[in-house]
Amino acid sequence: MNWNLDFLTIDVGTILFTLINTLLIFLAFKFILFKRVDAILAQRQQEVSTTYSKADDALAAANSDKEKYAEALAGAKDEAAEIITRAEKKARLEGDLIISEAKTVAADVREKAAAATEREKVQARAELQGEISDLAVELAQKIMEKEIDKADHARLIEDFLQEISAEGDKA
Amino acid sequence: MFQISDLFRGSPDGIDVKGPGILVSFDIGNVTINLTETVVISWGIILLVTLLLLWLTKDLKTNNISKRQVAAEWMVTTVYGLVEDTMGKQWRSFAPYIAALFTFSITGSLVSMLGLRSVTADFNAPLTWALVTFVFIHGTNIKTHGFGGYLKGYVDPVPVMLPINILSELSTPVSMSLRHFGNVVSGMVITSLLYFALSAATKAIGVAFLTIGVPAVLSLYFDLFSGFMQAFVFIMLTMAYISNADARNEA
Repeated sequence: MNWNLDFLTIDVGTILFTLINTLLIFLAFKFILFKRVDAILAQRQQEVSTTYSKADDALAAANSDKEKYAEALAGAKDEAAEIITRAEKKARLEGDLIISEAKTVAADVREKAAAATEREKVQARAELQGEISDLAVELAQKIMEKEIDKADHARLIEDFLQEISAEGDKA
Repeated sequence: MFQISDLFRGSPDGIDVKGPGILVSFDIGNVTINLTETVVISWGIILLVTLLLLWLTKDLKTNNISKRQVAAEWMVTTVYGLVEDTMGKQWRSFAPYIAALFTFSITGSLVSMLGLRSVTADFNAPLTWALVTFVFIHGTNIKTHGFGGYLKGYVDPVPVMLPINILSELSTPVSMSLRHFGNVVSGMVITSLLYFALSAATKAIGVAFLTIGVPAVLSLYFDLFSGFMQAFVFIMLTMAYISNADARNEA
């Protein structure tokens, strides 16, 4: 038997085996290299798009948060203004109340003072009346003690009146 | 005395360029099936390539990837790019076959650097691939043109062209396989001749330097460069012929 093929020959066995071998090496490439690398590339693509969409979502969320905060901030400003307004109104009301109370108290005080004055006046008048009557009695005594002429009479009355007036001024 | 003609006269056993060795031979009916060097070396290649691919694609990740994964992804995307550029996007799924063919061809040529007989120096190997391409060409043609359209292609543009068209179709696998085989085998023959000449010269001069440097340079060309070129030419032709047969590419 010849233990070598001819240099240039067509050998059915070799062709069949080479066909099978080519198929095997093709399958190795397809199912080991390409399938796995394709899968990982697809997965990476997926991850990248997921990351992108996540970033977009985060951006949208951040924007909506920003809007919310701006809104809240505007609300807070309004509220603060309202609080200030309310406080001012309240303060004014309280102030008014205090003033009116003070006025009342003052009026009261004035009234009391007036009443006291009146009372004192009445008392003074009563005292004066007492004194007048004393003076009248005194005058009567004096008249009765001596005879008095017309001029004396006039002078006496004059004196009396002056006395009364002085008493009145004193009161 | 040493003479130049001694270099090419041959050793006692002579420069004998043989076909691949037969390891086992058995008959099935009338057909003799030979298990040759080519086939066994191919099995070794398949084993190594499979192991290499398994190693390359071990624990792939989507980020923070290893250099192995960079290499694996580069291979895949490069072949996809090549196939899409040459054949169009619709042939994308053809990429694994192209990668397999290229790898089988180039490793089949490069085993000669390990002192083994090149797989591609056996005419049957490139012939098998060329026949696969042939089947693809005609399958694609029938698929996209319809059987009638396919047959009509042989009488195009005029019926007189029929024999020439048939010859042209048949010559495709013949030229493809013989080109690949011829390039590899001629490199092998030249390298053998040179080895023989150099060892004869060494024997004559008594200095061993010739057998060390010169074959390495030649091997660089005949094994590495030529092996790469032939593998590349083969896959480019395969893609070009098949996409030519694809009516979808005619615009």
